[in-house]
Amino acid sequence: MLFQSRHPLESKIGSGSSIRAVDHLEIPRSVAIATVLSHPDETAAVVAGFAAAGDLVMRNVAPGEWLVLSHIERSDSLERRLSGLLTDIADVVDQSEGRVLLRLSGPNVRRILAKGVAIDLDPSAFAIGQSVNLRCGHIAVNFARSGENEFELVVMRSFAESLLEDLLLMGREFDLSYGFSGGLADPD
Amino acid sequence: MASLIHCPHCGIRPKEEFTVRGDASLVRPEPDASDEAWHEYVHIRANPRGRTREHWQHLYGCRRFLVVERDTVTHEVYSVTDGAAAARGGSR
Repeated sequence: MLFQSRHPLESKIGSGSSIRAVDHLEIPRSVAIATVLSHPDETAAVVAGFAAAGDLVMRNVAPGEWLVLSHIERSDSLERRLSGLLTDIADVVDQSEGRVLLRLSGPNVRRILAKGVAIDLDPSAFAIGQSVNLRCGHIAVNFARSGENEFELVVMRSFAESLLEDLLLMGREFDLSYGFSGGLADPD
Repeated sequence: MASLIHCPHCGIRPKEEFTVRGDASLVRPEPDASDEAWHEYVHIRANPRGRTREHWQHLYGCRRFLVVERDTVTHEVYSVTDGAAAARGGSR
């Protein structure tokens, strides 16, 4: 039987906004996401392993726990590579179908996010690359600053529609536009 | 209730991100302790005025159990430590 990958927000977003505004909510179609949970007292070894790999995008979740993102690798190859890299020091679980990535960018992102997020978003307080778990509205998300005026949210699949609605409402003041990015996921 | 909690892992967060999981000063009795002692441990709670030690879980953040020392009258938070670290330190 053929397994067809379908994005959880497919029916909600469709072709997205007709016009792209300065503030834009982008949903990358294909992104590989894995959780890494360090074994007790192996946190430093896991961090060293990540540093050795070089090209991995790490997101802090909790002490000894991370989300790893890849925009180029497929989910199975990311999981295999991480498992090989972190043998005996961490557990790796593929979450590509379980989480959804949303990317918010534009000059007004901080004012939009401030309506749902209770941390200091000032550039000096939240540096590029920094990431935390937090509550956005009533939904737990992994939150990261990925660029000067760009933030990425990783949310559990079943909360994605709800978070999307919240973000669009928060961004209505600024005519926030939205849409998928990246090609269609491979059908196999 | 104290409205801002300084999570040792996540930084300053509003209390809405946490759930309070009860008194942290209780010590679990030995398995063969008297019914009286177990009854005390499981059911009997004080409602103290002033400084208290409680378990808080950072449910929307790092999901860790924390030991929060706070004042129920002034809402001042004295200290927040990771639960595992507090247990290892034997500071119960």
